[in-house]
Amino acid sequence: MRLSLLLFILSLKLRDAALRNRAFKNYIGTVRLNILIRTRDGKSGRLFVFDKGSVSSVKGANHACDAALVWSDSGTAFTVMLKGTDEASFQAAAAGKLTVEGMSYYIQWFNDAVKLVM
Amino acid sequence: MTQILGGHLVGKYLKEIEKVDTVFCISGGHIESILDSFTEYEIRTVDVRHEQAAAMMAHAWSVYAGTPGVCLVTAGPGFTNAVTGIANAYLDNAPLVVLSGKHPLRDDLKGALQEMNQIDVIKSITKWAATCYETKRIPEYLSMAFRHAVSGRPGPVFLELPPDILNVRVPLAQVPMSARPTRKFTVHPDDWDLRQAADIINNARRPLFIGGSGVGLSRCSAALGQFIDRTGIPFILTNCGRGELPDSHPLSLWDVGNVGIQLGMMQADVVIAAGLRFNWLLQSGAIIPPATKVVRIDIDPHEIDRNRTADAGLVGDASSVLGQLVPLLKRGEHSAWTRDLRTASRAFLTSELELREKPSNPIHPIRLVAQIQKFVGEDAIYVIDGGDTCYFGLTGFSSREKAGVMATAAGLLGCLGTGIPFAMAAKLARPDKKVLLLNGDGSFGFNSMEFDTMVRRNIPVVCVVNNDQAWGMIKHSQELSIGAERLQCCELGVRPYEKMVEGLGGYGELVTRDEEIVPALKRAFDSGKPACINVITDPTVTSPATPLFYQSLKMD
Repeated sequence: MRLSLLLFILSLKLRDAALRNRAFKNYIGTVRLNILIRTRDGKSGRLFVFDKGSVSSVKGANHACDAALVWSDSGTAFTVMLKGTDEASFQAAAAGKLTVEGMSYYIQWFNDAVKLVM
Repeated sequence: MTQILGGHLVGKYLKEIEKVDTVFCISGGHIESILDSFTEYEIRTVDVRHEQAAAMMAHAWSVYAGTPGVCLVTAGPGFTNAVTGIANAYLDNAPLVVLSGKHPLRDDLKGALQEMNQIDVIKSITKWAATCYETKRIPEYLSMAFRHAVSGRPGPVFLELPPDILNVRVPLAQVPMSARPTRKFTVHPDDWDLRQAADIINNARRPLFIGGSGVGLSRCSAALGQFIDRTGIPFILTNCGRGELPDSHPLSLWDVGNVGIQLGMMQADVVIAAGLRFNWLLQSGAIIPPATKVVRIDIDPHEIDRNRTADAGLVGDASSVLGQLVPLLKRGEHSAWTRDLRTASRAFLTSELELREKPSNPIHPIRLVAQIQKFVGEDAIYVIDGGDTCYFGLTGFSSREKAGVMATAAGLLGCLGTGIPFAMAAKLARPDKKVLLLNGDGSFGFNSMEFDTMVRRNIPVVCVVNNDQAWGMIKHSQELSIGAERLQCCELGVRPYEKMVEGLGGYGELVTRDEEIVPALKRAFDSGKPACINVITDPTVTSPATPLFYQSLKMD
């Protein structure tokens, strides 16, 4: 529940930034990319759609995507994402609680985009 | 009194003083007497089909043979054709000696054949450039050229020799000749800097060592091995430094490739960088967080604080500096950090690691590289040329050889077309080793006529074309930037490159299915000929290098 709320808030912030935040708008440019954040059990998740300067979002963990950030559980996802640091993500990955499916660079790109709105 | 032709002084000096046994060249009227000296002094010539390849092969010779590479080009277009190879050597710090013809001084400003001001063209991309005006001074100028090529930070040098001095005879007794070959001298870092660096390394909790071409140029396997054994620091060696310690070393991070570099640089508390420039591939140093301590080792003092102020800077040859540093270091143990780095990196590579094992149709480049590696093994030299192809090859190939995995097009010049000349030079320098070239289909076009050279000179390189039917990196960048519906000048289509090689007398084979890869490789190596396996791969695949490239050119 907490994770779903966090992802929903993130989607609002990204959507808003695509309209108002110049640095963010420049950063996402004309990229078309689908990034999924989900839990391993497929119970929680949200798809973030970047489409030539606009950002939209859909609830759910089973969407097709270019890259996915897969968390072992929603509690870990919530805690690490709330910290929002590279170190916290690194420690989660080192502990086997986070994996990336698809091209990891896209996730790095997404993380850098998120940093611009936080 | 014995007389000697000016041109013969070149061969005499190269062979007797510098012990040069191979020169890369194309013939030309202006340099005829030099070519004749190679017969006289039994210097092997490798005559190519474009001077660009001669310069690139000589550059590569310096990497694989460990001695300065020499190329000889004729005046005018012979010279201009070599310029790209020289520029590439300049940005790669390769000790390349370029000897060039020149229009006759007698006819200067008369509109002589191939008359042009070569020195002004070449100055900005060489360490040293000169014209010799007197026959007796040819050995002296050659000695200067070699000294400049290898001293300090190595680099290309250029010496032009006009017919006025090459095609006349002088008494041999009147020609001063150096008594010994060029030596490489090293400098010693300040003792205080050494102690400061040791202090930082001894107190590190999450250190990372990253070595670049300076590590390879210094041939520092022994010193680096001692450093790593004592400190227990995980490491990654790049460019022509790769292979100074084998990729399979327990502390080498090449099993997690570029992701390991990125994560390591971002999470380490101390980064020790040796013989490595913090260039665009490392975000000009910005990839390293501000709080991280940086120890830099470089032969060029100007590099120490370039793009990032070092907490300790050690100026000197990497081997020499590491040798001086080791006695000051405590025995270290960083296995938990190394394990975390590996595990975290693998978490980001899940899909890539799965792709290696899974047959694909159309063939995925990651799978292609994995199949090549399985068949060819670690006792081989891998050369990679292309855009996306460089990423796939660099992260998928593994070798025990020095400079055993080199993405020649991934240098600072981003010089496509280097793969074929480098692979040829690798095979000539180390004939007992298998040489596998992975070439993008775009970059294949630049020097593919050198398959003729390979056939004439019996240089059995096996080239696998990763054929995505496009200038893939550009195509995928354009898809990100201007849109897939507006692609411009980046699609190539399917071309029978294997037939082209067959036509030149080599071995060729087309591969379209996963299960055909390994049998085709076996037949190619068994043929004993220069070979081209043209593998049609998935044109939709993008490597992580493409968005990095795309982002680096955004100006908003």
